[in-house]
Amino acid sequence: MRRRDWMTAAAGGALALPQLASAQIPAHPSLLEFSPIEFQPPEASQYRRELPGGAVAYLVEDHQFPLVDVSVTIRTGGYLVPDEDIDVASFTGSQMRAGGTQSISFTDFDEEAAFLATQIGCSVGRTSSSASVGCLKQNLDRSLEMFFDMLMHPGFDAQQLELSVARTLQGLERRNDSTRSIVNREYARLMRGNHFTTRQSTEDTVGRVTAERMAAFHAQNYSPSRFIFSVSGDFDTDEMFDKLSAYLTSSDWPELGAAPAIPAPTHHPRPGVYMVDKVDENLNQAQVRIGHLGIARSNPDHIAASVMNYILGGGSFVSRIMSRVRSDEGLAYSASSSITPGTYYPGLFSAAFQSENGRCAQAATIVLEEMQRIREEKVSDEELELSHNYNIEIFPRFFATAGQVAGTFAADEYTGREEGYWQNYRDRIAAVSADDIQRVAQTYLKPEQAVILAVGATDAVKAGNPDEPDYSFQSLNDDNEIEMIPLPDPLTMKYPEG
Amino acid sequence: MTTRLLALLILLGSIWVAPAQEVEVQEHILDNGMRLLLVPREGDPNISCGWVARVGSVNERPGVTGVAHLFEHMMFKGTHTLGTKDIDRDLELIAKLDDLKAQIREEEAVLVESYRVGQIEDPTAADNRSERHQELLAEFENLLKVQSELLVKDEFTRIYTSQGGSGMNAFTSNDMTAYFVNVPANKLELWFWMESDRLANPVFREFYAERDVVREERRLRTDSTPTGRINEQFDAMFWQASPYSWPVIGWSNDVENITREEALEFFGTYYAPNNLTMVLVGDFQPDEAIALAEKYLSRLQRGEKAPPPMRTREIKQLAEKRMIAYAETRPTVRIRYHTAPDAHVDEPPLLVLGSILNGRTGRFFKSLILEQQLAVQAGGGVNGLKYDGMFELVGVARDPNQLLDLEQGLYEQMELLKEELVTARELQKIKNQQLAGDFRRLKSKSGLMIQLLQYEALGEWQNINRFSERIQAVTAEDVQRVVKKYFTRENRTVGLYYPKDFVPATEDSEGEVE
Repeated sequence: MRRRDWMTAAAGGALALPQLASAQIPAHPSLLEFSPIEFQPPEASQYRRELPGGAVAYLVEDHQFPLVDVSVTIRTGGYLVPDEDIDVASFTGSQMRAGGTQSISFTDFDEEAAFLATQIGCSVGRTSSSASVGCLKQNLDRSLEMFFDMLMHPGFDAQQLELSVARTLQGLERRNDSTRSIVNREYARLMRGNHFTTRQSTEDTVGRVTAERMAAFHAQNYSPSRFIFSVSGDFDTDEMFDKLSAYLTSSDWPELGAAPAIPAPTHHPRPGVYMVDKVDENLNQAQVRIGHLGIARSNPDHIAASVMNYILGGGSFVSRIMSRVRSDEGLAYSASSSITPGTYYPGLFSAAFQSENGRCAQAATIVLEEMQRIREEKVSDEELELSHNYNIEIFPRFFATAGQVAGTFAADEYTGREEGYWQNYRDRIAAVSADDIQRVAQTYLKPEQAVILAVGATDAVKAGNPDEPDYSFQSLNDDNEIEMIPLPDPLTMKYPEG
Repeated sequence: MTTRLLALLILLGSIWVAPAQEVEVQEHILDNGMRLLLVPREGDPNISCGWVARVGSVNERPGVTGVAHLFEHMMFKGTHTLGTKDIDRDLELIAKLDDLKAQIREEEAVLVESYRVGQIEDPTAADNRSERHQELLAEFENLLKVQSELLVKDEFTRIYTSQGGSGMNAFTSNDMTAYFVNVPANKLELWFWMESDRLANPVFREFYAERDVVREERRLRTDSTPTGRINEQFDAMFWQASPYSWPVIGWSNDVENITREEALEFFGTYYAPNNLTMVLVGDFQPDEAIALAEKYLSRLQRGEKAPPPMRTREIKQLAEKRMIAYAETRPTVRIRYHTAPDAHVDEPPLLVLGSILNGRTGRFFKSLILEQQLAVQAGGGVNGLKYDGMFELVGVARDPNQLLDLEQGLYEQMELLKEELVTARELQKIKNQQLAGDFRRLKSKSGLMIQLLQYEALGEWQNINRFSERIQAVTAEDVQRVVKKYFTRENRTVGLYYPKDFVPATEDSEGEVE
């Protein structure tokens, strides 16, 4: 087996030869000794190539298997279209893949791809879009040809569109079925208000999707200047560069200006307790979210905030929220918090769990208590050390495969992450002190401003647990009214009045 | 890993050079019967580590359903060394708790008896409890509080995490229970320490409290999903005699009442080293791993007796079974057939059959979705379990009024397969995809580790290298043979899921009455 080209680490063989079997087993794992691992993250510049037409590629060879994976991130997304056209944007992605090309019917296109065992994908997201092709090395040329034919000359087949519309409408009808889908939707609305991230498909927006509108969206958004490739697998970098270049120099690509900036939300969430009533006699567990606005990636505190959150609720079983809600009280199967730094604007701090209806108030109280406690008291040395160790030790796993290396660098370029971010990432984690954690907790955690949302059988949720009468949602809300959010009509997304 | 040339196929004008991937495994068996599978692989400085116990819900019996899964939870609760400040006091308290629990059970039995004869409405209601019952419960709660003072919460998990262990998890299925974690390449000894400790010196702490978590898990996975409980009952209807009929998470009554004695007996039988396989994939030296295995794992004692053979096998189904359900879901039909165990010679043709039905170029998409416009989604696939198997066809109708037509459409497609052989092109397409899939499946180290655990649980790891040839050898006649053999009317169980508010359309609802 050949050495993986992207591995720059002098890793492995680090384990000292153990003692003979007769040796004593140490009484506690803390007595074990480990030699250090040297690992240097790869550098983006090593793999970066500029392609014709303004495209960029990260090419990472890995000759372990005869496979090649090419994916391209495209500077476009649903954020670019007006409200009524959100489905025009999203359907363009799936229909580019489903409809064949202008010269090949979808039947022939799909049949050939399937026969070659080539996997082709295409989608339009909110702030970025993507397309990909994965194939056996021996089928690379034909697979690339089909892939670029799709990207350049998509077919937008009427029969496939009709099917996809029928499927989507059926899905819309069922959007109020599960508490999980309701809670995600309503939580986003509470946090972001009227923003491109909270727009919902309706029968009208789906009805506006036509082949002409999709073709127009395609023509306005797909061109090399908007492409960032990440390529990994069994290929030669120079040869791959030439192959991609040949497609990108085609005169069929339109000239496009830069994609407009991504609009930040202007909404200020209104703190309080909200509930959505889901009438179902069998429903014995409710979904709860607790959160408020968070921080942006450009904020230098985001690393300290992520270490803080790891201790609070990000670290699964070793986090405070999981430990109390699940291990101590048995109130939920999973309970967690996240503080995701926003790429373009401040993200959210959110905690989430699901508990038996009557016991949600107790679990919510614990989450709020822990948010308060990490602001008031310094974290222990043990917690800090554990959080440092974990986040530093797992660092090599970010670059575990050639695909991850290429994908990470492509995403960094797309989102404009500063150069050298990964080179001193571990040092910045290690530098986070207990004081820093308390400072960022005080700055960015605002339990008194929390939006609390529960979705489930709300009578039972409000009634609480007769064995623990001290806990109630009313008391979490200074005895203010709990605001009930009605379920919208699933096809029109109109919310009933009052 | 080596690449070898499996076949050179010239077919339909396309030349296919098919290299198949062989997984090179170094096998080491300890004197106590435990198997160790080693797959060193270069790459990032990590090792994917896991082990599997050949036990799942299929090894349970009525009364203790869910014990295999409850066990998986207990295995994270610590050992004599980890998870407590004072093991002697802890064990004392555990014995007292068990004793109290036994007395509480006697009280509960009295209530259940009163309920059985109709003297009380609810055997769980506090009002019905005797004074002694209430005292015992209070004492029990009190002891739990005392014990919690001694606990070092989640110490097992904390140690792994602080050493960079990631992706630590476990799962229980019908046939197996697996435990796995990724550790940095220099922490292999830690893995042996931790895993051998929880096998050699387990303490089932929080044995009663953990059931609250399992209850929430059931609410999450089953009770609070639109079709969870109906699916559970569909399984129970499909399997008549087989232990596959109960859910892996167990029936609630059983889970509530499993005793420590039952749990210990289960552990002694199924977690003995002769019933376990350990798998390592990643950046390590096999000699070092074997030395560590001998040092840490050879102290485990072989089980006194081998796990008992599976006795209650499924009986032959003699008549179609149907379930009609109303739920908050899309109009769905599922048709399930009894087939054969995973290792059976019919499994490869059944797998190929699934691929012929599925996907953008599959038969169902072309016929039921595009041409007949009956379905928006349709597919089928085999699920080979260790002792039995099933093949399920699933379709989502465009309109609930068409659900029965879709059911017929699915049958028609299967009848066509009985009459005419699948084409050479269809078959070759599946084989091509399988060969490419072979490589794709091996790309992830943790994925390979899990696959080896699964192969071991269902048979032996060597099957991972036989799989490719078994698929490549499938003929059109094989596919036709298994369709004729299994897809019969009396062998099927049908589930029809209508949307809750569905009212069938009638052509003329008035004037029909004469």
